[in-house]
Amino acid sequence: MSIIVNLDVMMAKRKISSNDLAEKIGITPTNLSILKTGKAKAIRFSTLNKICDVLRCQPGDILEYSDAKEE
Amino acid sequence: MREKINWSEMRSLKLSKVLTYSLIAMLVVAFVCIPFISKWYISISTEDSLIKGDAFIPVCIMLVVCDLFGLAAANALRGLIGNIGKSEVFIEANSNYMRLISWCCIFVGCTFTLFGAWRISFFVGAFFAFFMGIVMRVLKNVFEKAVSIKNENDLTV
Repeated sequence: MSIIVNLDVMMAKRKISSNDLAEKIGITPTNLSILKTGKAKAIRFSTLNKICDVLRCQPGDILEYSDAKEE
Repeated sequence: MREKINWSEMRSLKLSKVLTYSLIAMLVVAFVCIPFISKWYISISTEDSLIKGDAFIPVCIMLVVCDLFGLAAANALRGLIGNIGKSEVFIEANSNYMRLISWCCIFVGCTFTLFGAWRISFFVGAFFAFFMGIVMRVLKNVFEKAVSIKNENDLTV
């Protein structure tokens, strides 16, 4: 997919662990891992809203579009 | 109310299982009795045929082929019900089972059409087999779409 999830970068900046973030935004660590590894096919606005709220960032800080061709 | 629904669902699934196993048993018995069934059918059928002569061997061959396709379809049905019993409904294996059932019906239709030369009434059987095959195929397509929607939904965070 051409959408890159930079969640781990933002998590490192805010010094927050996966388990803590998952707990704060109310999703399971497994689902957070799916999101971090780019396996997710969609993200709910409500989840994005909570992530931005907890990490104090904009959706663009987490999601990035890349036009590089997939192999 | 919820318990009542579950109990009813459980009974419905059990009934489907019993019917499927009965169908398999009937097909096995029919397979053993094919010569008798052929002889009986030939003795009662009076319609015209495109190919004249003794129809015993062709009717036997047709019944053997149809019985085998029937067994394959019934076995797929058994697998399908088994998966539903395990609450694994929208999975790829189930759509593969439906595809197999659909192809079995279509092949039975082809067999009936081919052997319709010996008994015209087999064309009626062919029509119903083709109809059933097409219905199963459309259901399989719907099921495949449901599987893909479920997979996408599972990966929505």
